[in-house]
Amino acid sequence: MFNFNPLTIKQIRRFKTIKRGYISFIIFCMFILISIIAELLVSNRALVVKYNDTYYFPAYGDIIPGKVFGLDYEYETNYRDLAKIFSSAPESSNFVVLPPVPYNAFENDLKDDAFPPFAPSATDKHYLGTDKTGRDILARLIYGFRIAIFFSLILLFSNYLIGISIGCLMGFIGGKFDLLFQRIIEIWTNIPYLYAIIIISSIIIPSFFSLLIIMVIFNWINMTWYMRTATYKEKERDYVLAARALGAGNTRIIFKHIIPNTISIIVTFIPFSISGGITALTALDYLGFGLPAPSPSWGQLLSEASEFTTSAWWIGVSIISALILVLTMVTFIGEAIREAFDPKMHTTYE
Amino acid sequence: MPTAQTEIILEVKDLVAAFQTESGLLRAADGVSFNLKKNSTLGIVGESGCGKTVTALSVMRLLPKPTGQYLRGEILFKENDILKLSPDELHNIRGNNISMIFQEPMTALNPVNTIGKQMAETFILHSPGMSKSDILNESIELLKKVGIADPDKKINEYPHQLSGGMRQRVMIAMALSLKPAILIADEPTTALDVTIQAQILDLINELQKETGMSMIFITHNLGVIAQVCDDVIVMYAGKVVERAPVVKLFTEPSHPYTKGLFASIPKLETEHKSTLATIPGTVPAIAEYPTGCRFNNRCPIASERCFKENPGELLISEDHYASCFNLFPK
Repeated sequence: MFNFNPLTIKQIRRFKTIKRGYISFIIFCMFILISIIAELLVSNRALVVKYNDTYYFPAYGDIIPGKVFGLDYEYETNYRDLAKIFSSAPESSNFVVLPPVPYNAFENDLKDDAFPPFAPSATDKHYLGTDKTGRDILARLIYGFRIAIFFSLILLFSNYLIGISIGCLMGFIGGKFDLLFQRIIEIWTNIPYLYAIIIISSIIIPSFFSLLIIMVIFNWINMTWYMRTATYKEKERDYVLAARALGAGNTRIIFKHIIPNTISIIVTFIPFSISGGITALTALDYLGFGLPAPSPSWGQLLSEASEFTTSAWWIGVSIISALILVLTMVTFIGEAIREAFDPKMHTTYE
Repeated sequence: MPTAQTEIILEVKDLVAAFQTESGLLRAADGVSFNLKKNSTLGIVGESGCGKTVTALSVMRLLPKPTGQYLRGEILFKENDILKLSPDELHNIRGNNISMIFQEPMTALNPVNTIGKQMAETFILHSPGMSKSDILNESIELLKKVGIADPDKKINEYPHQLSGGMRQRVMIAMALSLKPAILIADEPTTALDVTIQAQILDLINELQKETGMSMIFITHNLGVIAQVCDDVIVMYAGKVVERAPVVKLFTEPSHPYTKGLFASIPKLETEHKSTLATIPGTVPAIAEYPTGCRFNNRCPIASERCFKENPGELLISEDHYASCFNLFPK
């Protein structure tokens, strides 16, 4: 289905020549990669601990209680303290390697003599400062991005799966089936989706997946419309009739002939759906109807930023620049893809 | 004319194919009957919109559902009525026993698949046991047969990389891949330029001799008919107006419409700068067919009876039928 034909190769080559989109694409992929391996870069767990000639790798896996490292408690080791203890005894060969940002997205790093939010400080390793409960903003940004981007990708996949299936069937079967779904969609789109989500999340506490399901229920419609139109157009083409004349059945015609010919429509919409997903989740979190409280989220950071506009400017600056950066990059990627897939660029007359 | 091999392979009896539209049921093919003899070619000739293509598509039951309907008639292939087959039986016949070449080689190939992939489709559908390498070899062999140079290279190319004539050759190769008993060619040369046209016609003739298949050849070009066909039916406004072996049709055209068609062909012998003969008027729209004979409003010899009754098929001489009252002086 996704075999690379010369046209696709041409489109990829063209995409690479659009510098702004291509660079954005590379940076965006790096962001996703960083967010996937975030435990190695931003975490309160150490990467490597050497204690009494044994190596420990606490970044992934079960928690290691403090007793293991000769401390006097059973709960998870505080590796920042452990690092200080080890470095105060330089004669031993024990050491701790901490991630560049040694905080996770949930812990409150409080001080005895001041109230959070704390300003950015390289000595504390809070490179973007902390929020009002002393949580590291960089950590919350990265983990929040991880949630947002995967939310957005799963949302996109589910929406497209449903949208493409139903849209394709509407276009292909046509007639009463098409009419029925058109009316269902028209009624469905008239339900104000934000209100519906607000009402639903006041009844149940939304989790990642329940929020996702609610969003899918309201968002599959867009792709359905596009696919319906595209299928209507493609199924009248001669090659479909030719395939029929060879004895091909409906399933084969839909999957081998119609969908591959609509790929460019689907690909063009993907970046916009991604930025749409991120924005939707951020907006819901901002309003307080998104993911429940402690989970790191950009919307929650944004609402905190509006609370401390002047006194803690670093919150606002961080989250707003992050949002602008990510959304602009996605838009650049989308623009480049659209341009690369523009059929007028490759028109040849024979 | 073939006398020894008059075995009939396909028999169309009184076929009425209609389209359901907002202005009612429109009969695009109205009472079409013909026989296709084994190892011979039947030409269907007529103007645009006379029901040629509808008739051809009906033979494979390819009219678009739900607007296209078969109101009456039988299409007998190997003693089965194609109009009554189940979808599975139908899928089995299509491409396997009856296949089709389309008018537009530019659009009848799927733009996103390679030639090889599209050619493989027939084999995958009808001989599921075949291995990939067998399919590939067979496809290359077929491409060679239809006269494509470098078939092993062309097989990995995409339709847009081939010229119109080459695409039509690929279409022919695909249609012939399972050695069908009947090949329907719907204006296979109309979209091609004249030199390519001649090559394709030669190719089709040659392949027919080689495989012994029967062919239904649709065209609006009488020259092409003379070149490839054994029998001809002339269609006008959804009806067959004349049916004859090709020599008889060309030597003694009987129906006034057929005569008009022959008169409209420009000839070298006609006087310099004389007016080209035409049939006056235009084909009536399908919803406005006149009562009686459908040709009555354009016919030079129409009598009163022609406006009241529809002439059935009348025998003129052996194998030669025409639907016109005025061929028989009372």
